[in-house]
Amino acid sequence: MERDQAPSLDALAAALARARPAGFRDLFLERVADTVCHIERGNIVARHAILREGGAVRREGTHYSADGLTRVTLARLLDVPGRTLPTLGTPPHPVPPDLAPLVAELPETCESVRWRWRWAAVVRGGRAVTLRRPQLLEVTLVNGRRSLATFPRPLGWRPPEALPPGRASAPVGPARALLAPAAAAVLLHELLGHTLEGDFLVSGTSPLARLWGKRLLALPLDVIDDPTRFDLPGAFDTDDEGYPGQPRPLLAAGTLIGALCDEASAATLGVQPGNARRAGVHAPPRPRLSNLIVTNAWPEDPPREGATIEVESVSAGSLDPLSELLELGVRSGWRLQRGRRASRLHPFTLVGRVDRVRAGLLGAFGTPQESGEPGWCGKAGEVVPAGAVAPWLLVEGMEVR
Amino acid sequence: MRPQFADVLPALLRAADELARHRCRFETFAKVGETVVRRTGHSGNQERQHLLEVGVGCRVVVAGKVGFGAAAGSHAAAGREAARLARENLLPGPDPLPPARLLGATAVPGLPEAGGEEAREGFLKALEKGFAREGRGLLLREVRMLDGCSTASILTGEGFTARAPACGCAIEVLIAAGEGPQRLFHRAARSLADLDPDAFVRQACETSRLTSRGSAASGGLTDVLLAPAVAAPLVEALGAAIIEDTLHTGAREPRIAKAWCLVDERSGPSGLLPLPFDGEGVASRPLTLLADGRLQERCGCWADTHQRGMGAGGAVRSTYVAPPKSGPANVVLHAIPARSPAELLQMMEQGCYLAIPAGRLRREPESGRFSLRAGAVSVRHGRFAAAHPIVELRGSLRRLLAGLVAAGNDPASFSLSCAVTVPTLLLRGLEVA
Repeated sequence: MERDQAPSLDALAAALARARPAGFRDLFLERVADTVCHIERGNIVARHAILREGGAVRREGTHYSADGLTRVTLARLLDVPGRTLPTLGTPPHPVPPDLAPLVAELPETCESVRWRWRWAAVVRGGRAVTLRRPQLLEVTLVNGRRSLATFPRPLGWRPPEALPPGRASAPVGPARALLAPAAAAVLLHELLGHTLEGDFLVSGTSPLARLWGKRLLALPLDVIDDPTRFDLPGAFDTDDEGYPGQPRPLLAAGTLIGALCDEASAATLGVQPGNARRAGVHAPPRPRLSNLIVTNAWPEDPPREGATIEVESVSAGSLDPLSELLELGVRSGWRLQRGRRASRLHPFTLVGRVDRVRAGLLGAFGTPQESGEPGWCGKAGEVVPAGAVAPWLLVEGMEVR
Repeated sequence: MRPQFADVLPALLRAADELARHRCRFETFAKVGETVVRRTGHSGNQERQHLLEVGVGCRVVVAGKVGFGAAAGSHAAAGREAARLARENLLPGPDPLPPARLLGATAVPGLPEAGGEEAREGFLKALEKGFAREGRGLLLREVRMLDGCSTASILTGEGFTARAPACGCAIEVLIAAGEGPQRLFHRAARSLADLDPDAFVRQACETSRLTSRGSAASGGLTDVLLAPAVAAPLVEALGAAIIEDTLHTGAREPRIAKAWCLVDERSGPSGLLPLPFDGEGVASRPLTLLADGRLQERCGCWADTHQRGMGAGGAVRSTYVAPPKSGPANVVLHAIPARSPAELLQMMEQGCYLAIPAGRLRREPESGRFSLRAGAVSVRHGRFAAAHPIVELRGSLRRLLAGLVAAGNDPASFSLSCAVTVPTLLLRGLEVA
């Protein structure tokens, strides 16, 4: 588009400072480019390209958002005359990368590959901040298994594997489960991520709301949320309210020491903001996880002899704050016998109450590994990319259903 | 609030102009939609959102190659970008555009009167008043309201042009009892005027109390009575599996109970979302999915169905950012004969009444099996016997097809991935755990 020339965000910030829209809090601008390749038997059979751009304004207690970044659109959002605003210059959508060489490396069971580029800026308090995020690459297999990574692909990145079907049913009832890093990442994301989001803590819906400064896990885990890890999908240098993104310690030796906060919940909880994220221009910023990182674990190999099942990959995880039930949809796993993998299991569900799972984390093993899962994190129907670095985990207190 | 066709005209026309110059078959699809969202928490905190979504998507066919591109915005540049992207992403493939002879628009019921902010405010006040009256011992944790209108427009290289205005609203309330999990109640309608806040709140409070405390259910195969809110996601999944042809019926033809009369009422008047044409411009008509104990029509979007000798007319397209795909739009389960819930309870005699879902429907795409958690009550001799705050309903779509015995006279509408209108259902032999 012609107007994609030199950035003019400072001019826009100055114009807003002059125009003083009633009840104005901030203006969020976004441009997104998506390319999706649909794949059949290793060949790209369709390619869809989508360019989106839009603006969102928080004013007078309402979040107004609209597609398009013309002066007319912004003036309507801000409720100011169009002539008071400069023509906006934003960076052009980049030329998408050639994904064919990547597709050639993927298993035949690959269904689609998506590349995403995103540019965003926040204008508030008379100044404009551009937000930096990594480009993303999502690979989806026909069985629904998904892996999200940054693009260009980080060193050592491996495509998700197509897993063979199960041969036996998981034994229903209480289980001692050994979770591989990809599965452990989802468990920790549900157990510690959503429960430490500021809005849940303020409203009292989080089961951890009254445990500040208390020992949360018997296991002495150190856990941080780190948006500055630009090799992981949840990275950002500045959050979607314009605050700098910084590593935030959440647990130290199993004790709760931090929370994930946007501006509003930070004010209530008396901590720093910097964790506000938007799922897109039409979603208001909310406190969210970025990259959940476990920084310590025992160096030993994962102890299969101490577990009854091994969970290799999960299709979904959820935490119902209402019933405090944590649920993992296990896509693939093994029944273990005398420390060995005995038979591959059909998909099953692992369920446990948050307090029992907290008490039931028995050990963290091996070097924590980056994981393509959970990949996308949903909250109130709004989805943001999330990364994780997790070790193997041995857990009891959950049951197979 | 009512987005106008004219709002998106520059983008739509520019996209068509760009593509017409290149001697290709094409279709441009534009959508403009305006949505108001309100959330009110129990401590009085309010969140208000006002969304305007607008953009254009193009499908192009040139010399055996097919492309798709989309761009946000209502201005001409957005149309030009969408056209450019579609042409730059051409890959060999069969022509997915339906032939011009299939395109058309069916007359559908007009839009209800737009209520605006006053109607929304009035509805929320009535809801709060109703809760103050009915909700003793319960806490109204959150009220969510979504009210929106849209206009979809289509223009093809062969000169077909049509537009489809639509509107709808959804209400959700989150209620906490002194014990047990909180409950989320959901209803949808074409307009707020079609929803009765008093009846909705009364039913929500009764259900919350009924299922708030109790014991675990004894597991096993049993007869189940599904309240409309529990039946809706199952019927949605069934409708989608039929239209997407992923029913997993195995080698044998599935046994289908005679009580099923499931119709995708695309042109209305039943259900929530009557539209004059489907997601790719094929004139709307009712698609009968299940009736008389057998699978009836199997239709999808043209690209999926024409090579298999199946009908077009089953395309859906909720947004301009993706091409149309096969799927249900406005699923309605017609009860023939329609019985009162009390009559259904008597018919069941012994079993489990699932009153309110407690989470999403989980499906295993490879096997067709599903599980759904719900708040429930055991039934003995046609009467409620014991409450169970959480049970899990398990089964397969095949078992669902075979198990329907009767349906109620209490249809309710829900806005899921498609519109679903369903009454209370009585089914034999599903697993409750």
